[in-house]
Amino acid sequence: MSAPEVPDAHLSAPQGALVDRSPTRPVIQLERIVRTYQMGDVLVHALRGVSLRVDRGEFVAIMGQSGSGKSTMMNILGCLDVPNRGRYLLDGVDVSKLDEATLARARNRKIGFVFQSFNLIPRTSALSNVELPMAYAGVRPRERLKRAKAALEMVGLGSRMHHMPNELSGGQQQRAAVARAIATNPSLILADEPTGNLDTQSSDDVMSIFSRLNEQGRTVVLITHEQEIADYCRRTIRLRDGRIIHDSADPEAQPYTPAGARWTT
Amino acid sequence: MSPLENIRISLRGLRGNKLRSSLTVLGILIGVGAVIILVAVGNGSSAAVQSQIKALGTNTVTVMSTGRFGRGPATTGTQSQSATLTAADVKLLEDPDQAPDVLSASPVVSASESATYSSATGSITVTGTTSTYMAAEGYSLEAGRNLTTSDISNHALVAVVGQTLISDLFTTGTNPIGQQIGMGSARWTIVGVLASKGSTGTTDENAVALTPYTSAEDQLTGYTASFNELIVESKNSHDVDAAEAETETILASANKTTVADLPFRLLNESSLLSTSQSTNETFTVLLGAVAAISLLVGGIGIMNIMLVTVTERTREIGIRKAIGAPKSAILSQFLTEAVILSFLGGVAGVAVGLIGSHFKIVGIKPVVSGTSIIEAFAVAIAIGVFFGFYPANRAASMRPIDALRYE
Repeated sequence: MSAPEVPDAHLSAPQGALVDRSPTRPVIQLERIVRTYQMGDVLVHALRGVSLRVDRGEFVAIMGQSGSGKSTMMNILGCLDVPNRGRYLLDGVDVSKLDEATLARARNRKIGFVFQSFNLIPRTSALSNVELPMAYAGVRPRERLKRAKAALEMVGLGSRMHHMPNELSGGQQQRAAVARAIATNPSLILADEPTGNLDTQSSDDVMSIFSRLNEQGRTVVLITHEQEIADYCRRTIRLRDGRIIHDSADPEAQPYTPAGARWTT
Repeated sequence: MSPLENIRISLRGLRGNKLRSSLTVLGILIGVGAVIILVAVGNGSSAAVQSQIKALGTNTVTVMSTGRFGRGPATTGTQSQSATLTAADVKLLEDPDQAPDVLSASPVVSASESATYSSATGSITVTGTTSTYMAAEGYSLEAGRNLTTSDISNHALVAVVGQTLISDLFTTGTNPIGQQIGMGSARWTIVGVLASKGSTGTTDENAVALTPYTSAEDQLTGYTASFNELIVESKNSHDVDAAEAETETILASANKTTVADLPFRLLNESSLLSTSQSTNETFTVLLGAVAAISLLVGGIGIMNIMLVTVTERTREIGIRKAIGAPKSAILSQFLTEAVILSFLGGVAGVAVGLIGSHFKIVGIKPVVSGTSIIEAFAVAIAIGVFFGFYPANRAASMRPIDALRYE
């Protein structure tokens, strides 16, 4: 269950770029990330210069109200979007300037997604859903089946792997989604409000799975606005107005500064 | 992702909306079926016309005397009278040394007569000729015998008659063989009956009586020592042109002129056939083109449905992209769906086309052409690729965050 130590050959950083290959290299390293959106005539500053380092094996909650920039943060962390400015090293590879095809590969190999609304492919069994990212990665069918079954056993869905998503409860669907996220053995598990659509019991089930994954050494970053969920995590980061206002791991490192002030590192 | 997996995923997508998928398949089915059936109808009508022309005798060249109104020596005045078709010409044409490709040359002396039997009458074309005429013109005997050489030399008053004359003159059940009918001032004994022959349009090929040309000249047209026509039959259908050339050469030397100045008109039946063939091909292409339009409409149906599908499944596309599907995987997934639709439509259309071609359509027995099946099927697949590409590309080009956010 150990994460691959060597980055995927396709994702090697361009020549000359800094690649930190030390065993303690961070999974996530954000350097002054800025993301703005043009919405009609208004320029929305979603992220106003965020720097963050998440090391291997961490269990991090990113919290914030809606509009704080946490969705944008999630999109950038998940390689679904690229920043306007700043640098994002994912597992040592600078992904902030990659093209669409390479980003797709980065998502496939380095990130396991868990969404609020489960996002399983409809009319497709839990097993096939878990196999899908491995299919896109080109894993052989036999190997794929073995790993998918193992992942589903791990989340406690071994007996329901041939059910369609609409035959599964919300909690079961989300557990299948977690199985799908871990099946590719990614460097980072990224969960966006994973318990937002679940009752308390299912939330506990899912969160304990995340805790177990973290205990096995996996890096988990989840985005939430619920304190009880954040309490499962060992580190909490709070966002407001596109800036980090609190980081439990290092309360003094990045104090909130008024708009217009510059970051110093 | 292997092609097989791609097909499995696409089939799952199509099964998700069975009615819609079947209706789209129906559009292609109708198009392919229509192409196959209509081309078969075109071929069928072409085959029907060709068999009618073949009934005329495709191995024949008809030599017609143009008299003074034709081209050639007529313009010089003095030679105009000599441009006739005579028994000597027949003899020359049947000489295997001079005309190796000619099987027979039959003189034609024709007259329109009314034939009588007791109180009944019927109007017919009397063709004074020799024994070879029947085969050259595609007639066959139903009963009795053909004209013989001795009939010719004896100026015998005998006739081989067609079916129309039989039904006009005799009550059913009467054996016409041996009966005597009146034509002109003489009474002729019926020695043979021709089998019914398909009509070529305006003239009734069955309202005929064949008699020795010698007796026809005696009794009906008056002796002129010249024939209206010569029917030259070649040994093989592909020798018709050679036989025509030999005929021209022989007639030119017999008339002491050149081939270019020949005072006769030669009508090659096979050239008539090729003219009608090209006319029919145009007709078939036209029918096929009309059907191809419906195939095109079916293709637009595929595009329409694929655009709807892509919009409906935007979220699914977003999920696939988020978990790392490359653009090519999404493109091939939706392209495969479109091609499966057109493939199923093509297969069903070929089946419908083959079944439909078993029935007579507007009186024509369709003749299925293998190339039309292959072409219609190939075009259906190509249409799937062509019309499926735009929607598939649209799906593949979606930005994952937009697609995931889509409700």
